[in-house]
Amino acid sequence: MINTLLAVAPELVPLALVDSFIEFLHPSELSRVLIDGLSKAAIYAMIAGGLTLIFGLMGVLNFAHGSLTMVGAYLGGAVMVLMVSSTTGPLARVAFFFVAVAVVFGALSAVGGALEVTLIRRLYDRPPIAQILLTFGLTLIIDELMRIILEFYDIQPRADWIAAWGTKPWFLSQRLSVGPISVRGIALFEIVMGVLTVAGIWAFLTRTRYGLFIRAGSEDSEMASALGIDVRRVFTVVFALGTGVAGIAGALLMWDTHWGASVPLGAETLLPAFVVVIIGGLGTFRGTVAAALLVGLVDAIMSWWFVNEIKFSGLPQLTIFLILVFVLIVRPQGLFGVEEVGGH
Amino acid sequence: MTVLEVEDVHTYYGESHILEGVSLEVDDGEVVALMGRNGVGKTTTIRTILQLTPPLNGAVRFRGTDIVDEETHEVARRGIGWIPEDRRVFAQLTVEENLRVAVPNQDEIAAGLELAYDAFPILEERREQRAETLSGGQQQMLALARGLVGENELLLVDEPSEGLAPQIVATVAESLADAATQTSMLLVEQNLPLALDLADRFYVLDNGSVVDDGETDDVSADSDRLRRYLSA
Repeated sequence: MINTLLAVAPELVPLALVDSFIEFLHPSELSRVLIDGLSKAAIYAMIAGGLTLIFGLMGVLNFAHGSLTMVGAYLGGAVMVLMVSSTTGPLARVAFFFVAVAVVFGALSAVGGALEVTLIRRLYDRPPIAQILLTFGLTLIIDELMRIILEFYDIQPRADWIAAWGTKPWFLSQRLSVGPISVRGIALFEIVMGVLTVAGIWAFLTRTRYGLFIRAGSEDSEMASALGIDVRRVFTVVFALGTGVAGIAGALLMWDTHWGASVPLGAETLLPAFVVVIIGGLGTFRGTVAAALLVGLVDAIMSWWFVNEIKFSGLPQLTIFLILVFVLIVRPQGLFGVEEVGGH
Repeated sequence: MTVLEVEDVHTYYGESHILEGVSLEVDDGEVVALMGRNGVGKTTTIRTILQLTPPLNGAVRFRGTDIVDEETHEVARRGIGWIPEDRRVFAQLTVEENLRVAVPNQDEIAAGLELAYDAFPILEERREQRAETLSGGQQQMLALARGLVGENELLLVDEPSEGLAPQIVATVAESLADAATQTSMLLVEQNLPLALDLADRFYVLDNGSVVDDGETDDVSADSDRLRRYLSA
């Protein structure tokens, strides 16, 4: 409507903006947008959380993180497809999903740990470009291997994996309504999973001795070593943990119509995850969660506004990058960042 | 009995030959001062002992075992503590978390915290504060406390009085003297009266080599023997 007015009666645009704002404040619209925003924030926090933990401690920008998320989506999907039949009830499907999450977390953590020990560790004393090239190369290898495996099983790698999507319990495909408020079931589920995962990582970092070692090592790994902490082992654990959490996010995305399990999922998730990590402040988990909330909500609000009022769906992504540029100009270290992080 | 024995150690930073055959010893219960002008290799000696900058040649023995080629965390777990020149407290962690990190065994944390807070009551008052919010003197106390709770047999203390107000230096000196009753110490210190007051013996480094050593009782802060190598 607004783009039409811009062409025929630009003086009415302010009125139209007020009108659309009032429409936005209607409980049904507001709740839908907020829930969508929080579900995006949950996904971003899960993917970017692992990325920032790895960068914070090790100073490694892991370009393979998105591809490992994609592997999590397919592995989770494979577990679900194997366990779920057409007669499986909805609650059993949810239970099987948590089994799939456990399998994905275990397998991806093992893969992450192995990658750190065999490949990443060799590059700590090299310039950052070596890590970027290695992890980018890993992305290409993982994506290609996945494509080969999928084509072997006659699954279309570039399209969402319908069989995995079909294992979703029916109530997650529905809109849930309470009074004027109506939200997507899968969005609520993503929020719950995101909160559980973020709370789990937070508790691990702040309530356990190993978490204390990670936070100390993130600040000054040399001093941490001199206090008797085996920082190399901590590196391995953090890489494994970060990869495992990325895998959980992937498993969750196989059910989301906006994402789905497909090979391009890796690239699709990596870019917003990097944006979130940079806005939050490289290496700070707290900042990443805050930035995920900011980006998720702005993304949802702009998506609603551009799609409903401007009728131009390409612009919401642009607003995320505008936030990134603004933060980089005003506060280059990010919302919660310190000036120097990572190191070996 | 000898706690630490550094024998003919040669350490490099890239192409630069920093330590050119340093040898020194620290015995049980002894405080040994390592003195010298800026840039002669004092901090590098400490980094070499900790294997943060491993030597190319020579031996570093702790209780008779050569620790060259061990990882730094393994050296630390043998009972060698480090109180670094620039304190290097973990700025984002609270005071208590800084201390908890340094206690080697989880079941000894309560005892370690009690020891630290007895030595520096101000740290107990600020236990929930982030270390970055402490004053320079309080950060130095935290760094010292971290060395104390580590149950170390040898403390490597690097310039503990640097940049501190005189009244804080007195507190730090008192704490080091207390610590010296429980552990051996290799002390790098430019404040000569403080170093000579605390130490039993001394070594003087110049251009990466030990050029003098002896008993601290045999020298004074203004003696020509020390001023020759230590005055700017």
